[in-house]
Amino acid sequence: MYVLKTQGLSKVYGAKGGIAYHALDQIDLSVEKGEFVGIMGPSGSGKTTLLNLLATIDKPTSGTLEIGGTDPVRLSERDIALFRRRELGFVFQDFNLLDTLPIKENIILPLVLEGAKPAVIEQKLKPIADLLGISGILSKRTYEVSGGQKQRAAIARAIIHQPSLLLADELTGNLDSKSAKDVMNALRDLNERLSATVLLVTHDPFSASYCKRVLFIKDGKLFSEIRRGANRQAFFQQILDALSVLGGNFDDVPFARA
Amino acid sequence: MTFRSLALSNVRGNWRAYSAFLLSSVFSVLIFYLYAAFLFHPDVMKGDIKGAAQVKQGMLACEFLIMIFSFFFVLYSNSAFMKTRKKEFGLFTLFGMTRGQIRKMVLYEGAFIALLSIAAGIGLGMLFSKLFFLALSVLLNSGETIPFAVPPIALWLTAAGFFVLFMAITSLTLLRVGRSQIVELLREARKPKPEPRLSVIAVVTGILTLAGGYALALSMNARTFLILTLPVVALTVIGTYFLFSQGSVAVLRLLMRRKRFYYNRTHMLTVSQLVYKMKDNARLLFVISVMSAVVLSASGTVYVFQKLQKEQIVEHAPYAVGFVERGANTHEVINPATVEQIVQSDGLRMTRRVKLTGLLGEGIMSDDAAAAGSGSNRDRLEAMIVSQSDYNREAKLLGREKAKVAAGEAVLVLPYKEMESYSPLKIGAIRFTLGGQPVKLKLTDQLTGAVVSPVSYATYMLVVDDARYEALRASAPPQSALVSYGFEWSNWEHSGPAVEKIEDAIDPAHEDQAQTYRVPSYISTQQSIVLTLFIGLFISLLFFIAMGSLIYFKLFTELQDDQTQFKALSRIGMTAAEIRRIVVTQVGLVFLLPCLVGSVHALFAIQALGNLLQASILKYAAVVFAIYIVMQALYFAVTCTTYLRSIRSGGRTATE
Repeated sequence: MYVLKTQGLSKVYGAKGGIAYHALDQIDLSVEKGEFVGIMGPSGSGKTTLLNLLATIDKPTSGTLEIGGTDPVRLSERDIALFRRRELGFVFQDFNLLDTLPIKENIILPLVLEGAKPAVIEQKLKPIADLLGISGILSKRTYEVSGGQKQRAAIARAIIHQPSLLLADELTGNLDSKSAKDVMNALRDLNERLSATVLLVTHDPFSASYCKRVLFIKDGKLFSEIRRGANRQAFFQQILDALSVLGGNFDDVPFARA
Repeated sequence: MTFRSLALSNVRGNWRAYSAFLLSSVFSVLIFYLYAAFLFHPDVMKGDIKGAAQVKQGMLACEFLIMIFSFFFVLYSNSAFMKTRKKEFGLFTLFGMTRGQIRKMVLYEGAFIALLSIAAGIGLGMLFSKLFFLALSVLLNSGETIPFAVPPIALWLTAAGFFVLFMAITSLTLLRVGRSQIVELLREARKPKPEPRLSVIAVVTGILTLAGGYALALSMNARTFLILTLPVVALTVIGTYFLFSQGSVAVLRLLMRRKRFYYNRTHMLTVSQLVYKMKDNARLLFVISVMSAVVLSASGTVYVFQKLQKEQIVEHAPYAVGFVERGANTHEVINPATVEQIVQSDGLRMTRRVKLTGLLGEGIMSDDAAAAGSGSNRDRLEAMIVSQSDYNREAKLLGREKAKVAAGEAVLVLPYKEMESYSPLKIGAIRFTLGGQPVKLKLTDQLTGAVVSPVSYATYMLVVDDARYEALRASAPPQSALVSYGFEWSNWEHSGPAVEKIEDAIDPAHEDQAQTYRVPSYISTQQSIVLTLFIGLFISLLFFIAMGSLIYFKLFTELQDDQTQFKALSRIGMTAAEIRRIVVTQVGLVFLLPCLVGSVHALFAIQALGNLLQASILKYAAVVFAIYIVMQALYFAVTCTTYLRSIRSGGRTATE
């Protein structure tokens, strides 16, 4: 069963009078339930555009997109927002936690917006907080906890309403290597234990090595795909090899993390 | 040149934040110029304008008020503005701009804003001065219109005064710029907000002081007024401060604890952000509340006086023109037909004409006083004796209390409501003479409020039962007969000329038997009140615009934080409607709360005034409050729309 399926997904910018720029060109992509997929590519390869399309905050120029059996492009603006809220979970590089709320309330925000009962909210919060190892900091404010804790809280927020797809955008970009490791381990646990479907966009090979499958894109097109065997270290090396074939600029994030 | 254009583009870039501030500044200059133009108008200086003297003092006071107010307003706005630009200054310093250069840039910006508001203010002032003069000459009844003029003194005074004011404040703010380290400047904007602290003692103090202030205000009477005013004001001001700084947070905390409410959809976001907004804005909201209360109380009071005066004058003079004659159809004062004719020829419509016949009772005194042997004239009254049915008919017309008289009894009617505690005659047996014949009656009651024009013989009235009246009338000589006439016409408020003509037609020998003062005295008091209102209106408007601009400015300095927040929220699937709901609630509270608190304060002030005047005046004050709240709501609507638009547009912000 596919959670995400795209066919011929394209995005063209600035065609009006000027030169058209193909940010994404004919992307066919399918993700099954419980998969942990990474998308990698050099700067300017179209990663962010792809993520924006999948996140339904941008509309494709052509091609079809289907998430959990629904085509969000056809929905009204309000329904798209509700769709995002119910079917998708987001984790961002800069956490996007609200300073005015304590960690706990940041996490339960999607449930509160949906009008869930307080009892149900508490019931859902506990296992996720335990799994992510943030039960101890629930009452803390955002500025009282570390970056890694913030990102794990953000993951909890993204997963608490059990979305069909979790989208993560450079989620370790703002973290030190120790925190990055914690966060990636947490994400892997989520994927394995709750069989959450995760799509991770990154240009950090270390983060990507946690995925079960990594897709590489270049100049808006799918370039190659590699699958992970049993060993993460070996997979990391495979990714590095693939990147050297891919070329392009990967300097933004330091490599030496494995 | 490049430096100046940098300053210029800074102003342009910060336009959204500057606009409200500029609007209030322009308005201050505009009003200052209008008043100055009148004060230094050649015709006014020469004393050619009749009645100008009565407004000159008030206007001069207003000029000072505007200057003082502008000083604090600009000072506050400027320093708040500089605070929001710390990051910008940090960046400039980082790029190698020296402290001196930054100061120079700020100075240029200040000068630019000053020149812009002065030019716009004076320009608009000239444009509106003709209208202003026109309104003033109508209100002053000066007959001739005040010609358009641009008095050079007014021009220079306004321009120089405000330029000095702006530049002085800019220099003051300059002192604060460039003292901090670059790192601090850059970090300033990103400082996480600490959670507001709450003190139970402060909350309780706030509630107690506020309640105490209100209670004291309501308990004030004419005797304690002077002693209590200051404590009342002090208590209320302190209470308001605690109400905003602590009370608001306390209430929100309470809401947070009620999970069922708090975990209900957007409530969590609205409330949690409000906690910070309230804390941050407590001082501003407090100042605005107190200012609203002052403006509202002042304008409410003037308005109430205007209304009360009309009520009172109609109460004291039940008819626009009324007179009393001795003897039937003698028309010794004026022929009623003449009155009719004058009124008609002035294009007025007679709405009521009254003719009440009675008898003149002389030397009325109580038996007790007579027995005590005090025969002095002081204790004796003259009164018009009327029958119960006649009296009740007239009383019903004017909505006054009816008299109940049994056979052999009498009721005394005093002319004014205020005389309630005064009793010229003791209840009990009374005696008087009617055409020389002694009459004895039993006084049972006394009423207040004349049913005919209370002048001369008809100042007091003695109501007797119908049978007794008939008997008295039959035995009384013709010259004891009294006839009171009363005339009421539509639009009497503006019938000065007609009343003057009637006064001219009245026989001077009997002019004390006519009451004609209602219209002229109404007109003259109205004029001075309307002038006060007119001049005060501009000041109130200035306060109002400035208050709105303070809130507007505050909101837009928070915009950037809010923008990132709402952007994140919309990414995780918050709908536009939900975001709008949150923003409207938050902005609405910040706007309407001080407005509401100010209104409540003013309400208590007005009620206290009503207690002093022994009149119910709340309904009049309510008109002023309603206007104010409607205006504030409009301001809120505009701000909310602009705010929502900038949140949606995301990229362009107040400080980018």
